[in-house]
Amino acid sequence: MLTYLLRRLLLMIPTLLGISIVVFTVMALSPGGITPQALTSGMEMKPEQRKAIEDYYNKRYGLDKPAPVQYLHWLNNVSPIGFISDEQGNRGEFSFNKPMDLGTSFQYGRPVSDILAERIPITLLLNLVTIPVIYLIAIFVGMKSATDRGGSFDVGMGMSMLALWSIPTMLAGVLLLGFFANIQHFQWFPTSGISSREALDMPFLPHWGQTGFVRGFLLDRVWHLVLPVICLSYGGFAALAKLMRTSILENLHSDYARTARAKGLSEHDVLWRHVFRNSLLPLITISAGLLPSLLAGSLIVEYIFSINGMGQLAVEAVKSRDRELVLSITWVSGLLTLIGYLMADFCYTLADPRVSYD
Amino acid sequence: MSQPLLEVRNLRTYLQSGGREVRAVDDVSFCIPKGETFCLVGESGSGKSVSALSVICLLPQGIASHPGGEILFNGRDLLKLDDPGIRAIRGSQIAMIFQEPMTSLNPVMTIGEQITEALYTHHPDMSESEAQQRTIMALEQVQMPHASGRFHDYPHQLSGGQRQRVMIAMALACEPQLLIADEPTTALDVTVQAEILRLMRKLQDDTGMSMLFITHDFGVVAQMAQWVGVMQQGKLVESGSCADVLHNPQHAYTRQLLAALPENLVKPVGVRQLSENVAVGQTKNQTPLLQIRDLKVWFPIKKGLLRRTVDYVRAVDDVSLDILPGQIVALVGESGCGKTTLGRAVLQLEPPTSGSIQLQGQELIGLSARTLRPLRRKMQIAFQDPQSSLNPRLLVETTLTEPMKVHGIGANHDERIELASQLLESVQLDRDFLWRYPHEFSGGQRQRIGLARALALNPEFIVCDEITSALDVSVQAEILQLLLTIRQQRNLTLLFITHNIGVVEYLSDQTVVMYQGKIVERGATAQVCGHPQHPYTQKLLAAVPKLLV
Amino acid sequence: MIKPLISRESYAARVWRKTLDGVGVKVGLAWIALLVFAAVFAPFLANSMPLLMSKDGVISAPVLQYLSVEDAWVLATFFVALMVYRLQLGAGKRVLLFLLGAFVAAVLVNWVVKPPVLVIYDDFRTTAYTQVDWRIMPPIPYAPTDYLRDLVSKGLEAPLVTVGHTHLMGTEESGADVLSRMIHACRISLSIGLIASGIALFIGVIVGGLMGYFSGIVDMLGMRLVEIFEDIPTLFLLLTFVAFFGRSLYMMMVIIGITGWSGYARYVRQEFLKLRKQDYVQAAVASGLPLSSILFRHMLPNGIAPLLVAVSFGVAGAILSEATLSFLGLGVVDAPSWGQMLDQAVKSSTFNWWMAVFPGGAIFMTVFAYNLIGEAFRDAIDPKLASKAGHS
Repeated sequence: MLTYLLRRLLLMIPTLLGISIVVFTVMALSPGGITPQALTSGMEMKPEQRKAIEDYYNKRYGLDKPAPVQYLHWLNNVSPIGFISDEQGNRGEFSFNKPMDLGTSFQYGRPVSDILAERIPITLLLNLVTIPVIYLIAIFVGMKSATDRGGSFDVGMGMSMLALWSIPTMLAGVLLLGFFANIQHFQWFPTSGISSREALDMPFLPHWGQTGFVRGFLLDRVWHLVLPVICLSYGGFAALAKLMRTSILENLHSDYARTARAKGLSEHDVLWRHVFRNSLLPLITISAGLLPSLLAGSLIVEYIFSINGMGQLAVEAVKSRDRELVLSITWVSGLLTLIGYLMADFCYTLADPRVSYD
Repeated sequence: MSQPLLEVRNLRTYLQSGGREVRAVDDVSFCIPKGETFCLVGESGSGKSVSALSVICLLPQGIASHPGGEILFNGRDLLKLDDPGIRAIRGSQIAMIFQEPMTSLNPVMTIGEQITEALYTHHPDMSESEAQQRTIMALEQVQMPHASGRFHDYPHQLSGGQRQRVMIAMALACEPQLLIADEPTTALDVTVQAEILRLMRKLQDDTGMSMLFITHDFGVVAQMAQWVGVMQQGKLVESGSCADVLHNPQHAYTRQLLAALPENLVKPVGVRQLSENVAVGQTKNQTPLLQIRDLKVWFPIKKGLLRRTVDYVRAVDDVSLDILPGQIVALVGESGCGKTTLGRAVLQLEPPTSGSIQLQGQELIGLSARTLRPLRRKMQIAFQDPQSSLNPRLLVETTLTEPMKVHGIGANHDERIELASQLLESVQLDRDFLWRYPHEFSGGQRQRIGLARALALNPEFIVCDEITSALDVSVQAEILQLLLTIRQQRNLTLLFITHNIGVVEYLSDQTVVMYQGKIVERGATAQVCGHPQHPYTQKLLAAVPKLLV
Repeated sequence: MIKPLISRESYAARVWRKTLDGVGVKVGLAWIALLVFAAVFAPFLANSMPLLMSKDGVISAPVLQYLSVEDAWVLATFFVALMVYRLQLGAGKRVLLFLLGAFVAAVLVNWVVKPPVLVIYDDFRTTAYTQVDWRIMPPIPYAPTDYLRDLVSKGLEAPLVTVGHTHLMGTEESGADVLSRMIHACRISLSIGLIASGIALFIGVIVGGLMGYFSGIVDMLGMRLVEIFEDIPTLFLLLTFVAFFGRSLYMMMVIIGITGWSGYARYVRQEFLKLRKQDYVQAAVASGLPLSSILFRHMLPNGIAPLLVAVSFGVAGAILSEATLSFLGLGVVDAPSWGQMLDQAVKSSTFNWWMAVFPGGAIFMTVFAYNLIGEAFRDAIDPKLASKAGHS
């Protein structure tokens, strides 16, 4: 087991390297590349000013060097093993334990790691809340459909799930925002962000204060998250509900279910004691693919609902050609995805005794 | 005579399939006395499994219906019981075991849990320790090695034979009066089958339970049953005591089935001569058609962090074999012995690890694809699975003429079509079949087309990889007779891979026995099957259920 | 010559028949047919200029005069496709013939069609075009880029609200008619969907085929490559590509294609490995058939069905990708796009519902249609997956 984990972690490294190379190449190959000219174009300046700023960029970020060198530079900065370099970009000594420097953002002028540290938790919060929602609804709907096979619930759900899955996230977000968060229609939910300003001062739990019912930090957060989570989760649970249904039906007709019935178990027991656990297995496998699609989805959701997460950051970074930021975000999302795969695999080994890794 | 334990009267079971109603069981009546075994025999589609499932009422309600008949168990009609009533009987008074031990156990539950579940279902007040004790006792009863240690094992950690033992233990946990066994040993190797059958007989003697045994193998019937019923397309055409039915069959179908057994099969006219000639020819020193020396086919097992090769699966381990022209050599063994790998390696479909294979003196290993191509004309192969042996997208005509075209047989398209038609005739199929797709044919017909394809290039040597293992007995008989006829007409040499000893005795001149990748015995069929020398061969032959008890 | 007798139903015909057996598929195909119709005949359906008019006895067709190279080529290709469809040839030959025809049409059209460079739509509402004997206008008398400046359009008006000129689906922020833009956007969506999927399929088949055929090192390297492209959430990669490589239509197609091939490669590789073990493939090898025959006659036709299922879902995905990029403001510049219109629904403080419902509805229906078709096809080729009650 340990060797398997070790092997997977080691295999992650070339993949991560590959991801960073691909992204870096895209940026370098593009018309305009990542030279300072691209960053200062469009701004009205005197030639001397422009030159000064370009020189500054060159010095600071090493943009005048050829692309492969820039990449190695970045790689050196990012990895915990490498040469320690100071502000001027001069190389110091080699170290195995140097701090990881993700660079400084052009756009914000702040270290990338700081920006990410602010944004990632928010995106993670959104996604981690969504995952249980998806699974709970999918399992419930899938079970009900399978046991009701051919009945009205099943047929109705079948059609609606497929339709639901086809609704583009942006349409759902726009509709939800337009109808449920707008003064024109029903303003049940807030339009943006994940917490109101007042909420920061509120105590954590809801309670009755002097002015009446005070929401409290927790409930405020929840209230803000309702629409975005709905938006992010419906695609997932539509697909998973169908998968669950197919899985349960397959297992209900399996040989071991027949054996259980031959032992005298009731249909209810066959379903819950035997079929249920086996049916969950494909759902765990698929959870590996869920995380990348959730990350992509959260990009759109954050954009629509103005949530300051990593997704929104990515859109802005890309629009302003912020090299450091783009590299880091892509790299981090790749890392998160790979970790997601690993965890899904791990959960699968726990669930299925047939699988052994060595 | 006391009341029989089970009495089935005029049972009818109709199944809904794709909008049509199929009369799976049509007016079947039989009875099983206490402590005795009744065998239901028949070919696929005869309705024997459905009859068994009807007795225990396990057929899905939406699909099956019983328009008529009664199933009297201890005097009570099971068909009239409500659901809780039948569930109380299932597992405690009537138990059932199935054919596929691989999939019949829940893979995510330990075998201990599964057996105790049977106990708890019918004895809800049983304490945990008592249940555990009784489970271990049940495992010991089925002669499971290290019974107490196995309690926490998962099904995938056991072999096929061991899983079937677990199934039996589970079925017997509540001490049922009737055990229904639906082809429980068909998926097992012959030697394992012999052990399981012996076990079941012993259990029957110890507990006094009755058995309803479903099978297609008459040898098993002879070993296990006192009473037998023969089914054909839903009807019970003959039934009676085992001795009567097997040695003095009344119904034409029974007689036909018994005559189709390889032990009883008659060779086609004119063929007997050849085998004698071949036997004579052997004594003169002929050059072998195929010479295999020290053949190894090893598959690496990779483990560890860096996926290093730690060991090998020795599928074929140092095999040397000579096949003389005109011979039929049977390659026998149980699953995993390497016989299929050997057959494919000879045809260069499986890359050999080392050794030499010479076809008429020409070395085959190490040749490039281009040099090998003309040699491929001389050796062909026919496969086991009728479902996947023919390309579903191509007409039969294309399947047969394409190899001809590549090797330049036949001057033009019309000539090739004529040749293909003749091929179909030689495998006793209609010429029209050239213009059909594989999915329109039955399993037996597809095997014939597969043989026709193998003959298309006019080879000298054909490897038959278990070509009759997936067929019913009567269809198998036809294919075997056809094979002998073709062999005579075209002077072929055959390497016939099989696990069925009866077929070996019927068909082959020479027999080679394989075990774990090595040849353990070889020689003339009469010699090997009559007086086996190697202990494994002896064990193998002893395990085959014989018709004459 | 021995005449072939009744040719029974081939495998392909059987699958096709089973696919069409269901309501969902028919709805999906109907919608796609509608889109194709709209895409091909867009200049005739929604345009500011008359289809046909007679002025002072002279009959002229301004639409034809102003037909752009692209419009003409799409029309020509459509007719080539129709002709090829009617021919009784093998599937492979038909595809090649179609591609050849499309190419020839492109060359011809480029050579022949020369529309005027500048088009001022306001002119078509002047007396030069209105005071005529008779004229036939397209059903929707607005071009997609006609911003109705002469009519002082305010932009972002609800359907049927404006006085004097009716807009069945309202107007969008720069003043143009929404319905017209939607019809013309069909072309963008469909073409991006098909071409991008085509590119992704091409790359995926080659990479997957190589991996499946050669195994060993090639397989290992290929898998790493596939993993890299899979692990980056596609949208991130798309964003990166688009922002750095620009936003022309062709660029978008290529980009969406390049980011989407990994799924196809996996599929192809899996099918390859499975097919290699099939007995009939082994028989073909044993008969000494040449490699090309084994690949194209025995393996490919049997492996293509699951691939087509993936393609159906893939086209839906490509269309969705384009719409998403447009929505985020990174889409094709200037040309009409459903995603871009959807974005306008929430830009201002008011909720412009018609900008959400109509373009959003179009995206939804298109994705839904392809999903329905893909599902039906998948159920047809693998009966074990059939989810209809009673089938097992």
